[in-house]
Amino acid sequence: MSTPAAAAVRTGVALRETLASARESWTDTATAGGAVAVAAALAPFVLGGLIATDTLASGAYLALAATGLGLCVGLAGVPSLAQGAFVGTGAFAAAHVLRHTQLPAELCALIGAIAAAGLGTAAGFAVRSLDAVRVAVGTWLLSWLLALALGALPWLSGGAQGLVVPTRRLFGFSPTPLVHYELAVILTGLCALALVALRRGPFGLDLAAAARHRGAAAALGVPMERLRVGAFAASAFVGGLAGGFAVQLDIVADPTAYGPLLSFELLVAVLVGGAAAALGPSAGVVVLGLIALAARALGGLAGVSGSRFQPMLEALLLLAVLTTGGNAFVPAAIASARRLRPERRRQSRPAGAPARRRRELLRADELSKRFGTVTAVDGVSLELMPRTITALVGPNGSGKTTVLRLLAGAQPPDHGRITLGSHELTAASAAERVQIGLVRTLQTRAYFGELTVLQHALVGTNRTRRHGGAVRALVSTPLYRAENRLAEAQTFAALETVGLAADADRPASELTGAGRQRLMIAAALATNPSVFLLDEPSAGAAPEDLERLTAILRRLKADGLAVLLVEHNLSLVRAVADETLELELGRVVRRETNGRL
Amino acid sequence: MSLAVQVVFTGLSAGGVYGLIAIGHSLIYRLTGIVHFALGDLIGLGAFVTLLVAAGTQPLTQESVSGGRMALAIVAGVLACVLIGAAGYFAVVQPYIGRSAIGWVAATLALGFAIRAVLDAAFSRPAYVFPDPIPFRRVGNDGLVKILGAQIHVRSFAVIGIAILVAAVASWVLQRTWFGRSLRAIADDPDGAAIVGISVERTRALAFGLAGGVAALAVVVAAPGTPFETGSGALLGLKGLVAAVLVRFGGLWAAFAAGLALGVVEAALGTGLLGHLPGLASYRELIPLLVAIVLLAVRPLQLREAVD
Repeated sequence: MSTPAAAAVRTGVALRETLASARESWTDTATAGGAVAVAAALAPFVLGGLIATDTLASGAYLALAATGLGLCVGLAGVPSLAQGAFVGTGAFAAAHVLRHTQLPAELCALIGAIAAAGLGTAAGFAVRSLDAVRVAVGTWLLSWLLALALGALPWLSGGAQGLVVPTRRLFGFSPTPLVHYELAVILTGLCALALVALRRGPFGLDLAAAARHRGAAAALGVPMERLRVGAFAASAFVGGLAGGFAVQLDIVADPTAYGPLLSFELLVAVLVGGAAAALGPSAGVVVLGLIALAARALGGLAGVSGSRFQPMLEALLLLAVLTTGGNAFVPAAIASARRLRPERRRQSRPAGAPARRRRELLRADELSKRFGTVTAVDGVSLELMPRTITALVGPNGSGKTTVLRLLAGAQPPDHGRITLGSHELTAASAAERVQIGLVRTLQTRAYFGELTVLQHALVGTNRTRRHGGAVRALVSTPLYRAENRLAEAQTFAALETVGLAADADRPASELTGAGRQRLMIAAALATNPSVFLLDEPSAGAAPEDLERLTAILRRLKADGLAVLLVEHNLSLVRAVADETLELELGRVVRRETNGRL
Repeated sequence: MSLAVQVVFTGLSAGGVYGLIAIGHSLIYRLTGIVHFALGDLIGLGAFVTLLVAAGTQPLTQESVSGGRMALAIVAGVLACVLIGAAGYFAVVQPYIGRSAIGWVAATLALGFAIRAVLDAAFSRPAYVFPDPIPFRRVGNDGLVKILGAQIHVRSFAVIGIAILVAAVASWVLQRTWFGRSLRAIADDPDGAAIVGISVERTRALAFGLAGGVAALAVVVAAPGTPFETGSGALLGLKGLVAAVLVRFGGLWAAFAAGLALGVVEAALGTGLLGHLPGLASYRELIPLLVAIVLLAVRPLQLREAVD
C-alpha cells in the first residue's frame, strides 16, 4: 500500500474512533447544553423588540468573563475576587493597542487577553500556596488596585471620559451588536466546553481533590501550586478576552466600569448559576439580567435610577442562594433531571495491566529533626527493602510520625540523607518524591468530598501520566485518550487490591471510615510507588477491618513494594512485619526481625 | 519643615481612622479566621445614619445642627453599626466559619454591597457635608492654628486624640475585662473557650458589633473635614484592610500603628514631600496597596490545613 493511502486509512480509523468515543460520551446533559447554545444564538431574533441587541451583547461578554471565573471558583475552589480587574486589563490593553496600531480587531482583543493572562499568572503565582482567606484578600486588593489606578492615572485610562476606541471589522463582518453577540455566544460556548473537558481530565480532578482536602492531595503528590497558577492564568485570559472584545462593542473604555463591583457581580453570577456546572456562570448572568430589569421596575416605582437597586437585589439573591445550602440553579436542575432519568452506568471494566515500576531500596542515613528545644528525631537510619514490611513502633511522642514525614518530604530534615535507588531525595519536594516512587497515606481519614471512589483513585493515577496535560485534555489527542484507558485500568487494579472495585461509581462520602481509609490506600497505590509509607492505618479499625488491612499489607508486599508501617497495634505488627524498629525519644532503641519484639 | 509638619498632622488624622478600622479587621480575623469585607460599608452606614438623624437627607451647612441633636445622632450612628455588625455576624459569617471560604467571602461582600445600595437609594447626591460635632471653627484662626509655620486644622488634633483614646480603651477592654479575656481565649482556641463556659457565638457577635461601632465613631468625628460619599466607607474599609495586612492581622497597637503609618505615607506621597517626582502624587493610594499585595505574596506563611 502506498504511504498516502496508508495515512488516509489511519486518518479514517482515527476519525471513526473519535466519533465512536464522542457518541459514547454523549449524555443528556450534553443534549441540554446543545439546546441551550442554539437558543442563545437565536435569542436576539426572538427578543429583538424587548431587549436591545447591544445590551444582549454586553451580557454575553459578561457571561464569557463569568465562565472564565468558573474555572477558578468551580474547578479550583479558589475564591477569586479579581476577575473584574482581569476584564478591565483586557479592555484597556486592547483599547490602547487599537488606538495606537492598525492591527486587526481580533488580534487586539487577543493582546488584551494575553495582558490579562500575564496579570493573572502573577496573581496566581502570588497566591499559589496561600489559604483561601489570603487568596480572597489578595485578589480583592488587586481588584481595588486596578480600579484606583484607572481613576488616578489619566495616561492609563484616558481620564474621566475614558478612551475612545476605533472600531474595525470583526472576522470580516461589520462590528454590529449582533455580530458581537454571536461572537460572545460562540466564545462562551467554547469556554464552557473547555471547562467540561478540563473538569473530566486529570487537571480538573487534581484541582478538585486539592480544593476538597489539601493535605491528602499533597500526600498524593498533586502539584497544587502549578495547577493553581494555571487556573488563575486561564481564568484571567478568558476574562481579558471578554474585556478586549466588549470594549470594541462599547466604543469607549470606561475607567469606572471595572471596579470591585464588577468582580462581585461576576462572582454572584458564578455562585448563583452554579460554579460546578459549565453553563452555570452563563445562567447566572441571565439571572443578573433579570435582576437588572426588576431593579429598573423598582427604581421606577421609587422614582430613582434602577441601577441603585441592582447591587442590593444581587446581594439578596446571593445570600438567598448561599443560605439555602448553596445549591445553585444549574446544578440543582441537573440533579433533579438525573432523578427523573438516571445517567447510564459504566458497562465494561477496562482491562490491561499497568507497567510496574522497578523496585528499589530506600535508604535513610542519620536523619535528625529538632522543633525548638525538642529533638523529635535523633540520628535515625533505616533501609526499606523491596518485598519487605518494616514496622516503626514506640510510645506517643517517640518521633514515629516525624520520621515518616521526613521520609515523605512533608518536612525537611535538619541533618541526614535520603536516597531511593540512585535518586537523591533529601531535597526533593513531596510531589517529586511521589513521581520518583515514594508515597504515603495520612493518619486522618481525609477524603475528597463528593468525588467518586474511582475519581479518588484516579488522582493517584494522574501522577503516573505523561500525556495528561490541560492542553491535551482540551483537544483530546489520541495519545491522551489511549492513556485515559490505561489510567482507568491501572486505577481499577489499585481499587481491586483494597476490595473497592465494585464501588467505583459510588461517591466516597458513602463509604465507612475504614472504607475511606482503604480508598486512600488505593489512591496512593495508584501512583505506582516502589515505597509505601502508612501512618497508623489501624487507628479506629474494627476487627474485620484489621483482617482486611492485614490482607492488603500482605498483598503490597507480594507485589514487591517496600512498606513502612507506623503502628500502635502490635498484633497487626506481629502479623505482617518482617522487621520492627522501636523508637524512643527520637532514637532507634531496638531492631528485630520477623516481628518479634 | 512646615510641609513636613503639615504632612504629619494630615497623615495622622487620616491614619487614626485607618488604624481603628485596621484594629477591627485584625480583631475579627483573629477571632474567626475570616476577613470582614463589609466592615467598610458598615462604617459608611454608621456615618450616614448619623447624618440622617442629625439633619435628614436635606443639604446642610457645617453648623446648622444643635449640639444635643448631634450627640444623639452620633449615638444613633454608632449604635446602628453595633447592631447591624452583630446581626451581620449571625447572618453572613457564622454559618460559614470553618466550612466554606467561598461562602463567607461571598456573603460578607454581599452584605457590603447591599448596605451601599441602600445608602445609594436613600442618599442620592454625589457627596455630603457632615455637620460638625465640635465647633472647631471658633478655635484659632477659623479652625486653623499655626505650628512651626504650617497651618494645621484644629480638628486634626481632635481626630488623632479621639483615635488614640478609643484605641487605648479598646486595648484596656481586651487586656483587663472579662469580655476581653473571653475574646482572647476564643482567638486562641474556640473549642477550649466553649468548654470553659464562654458563649463563643455571642462574644464573637458582640466583637463584630464593637469593631464596626468603634471605627464608625472615628469616622463620624473625622467626616466633617471632607465631603463624604456613599462609597467612602468602602474605601476606608480598604485602607484599614491594607494596614491590617501590613502587620499580618497582628496585635491591636501594631494594627493601629500601621494605620497611622499608612495615613502619613499617603499624605507624604500626595503632597510631594518625597521630592517632586512627576505624577508621584497620583500614586499615593496605589503604592501602599501594591506593597500590601506583594507582602501578602512573598511572606512565608503557615499552612494550617496542610499539616495532618
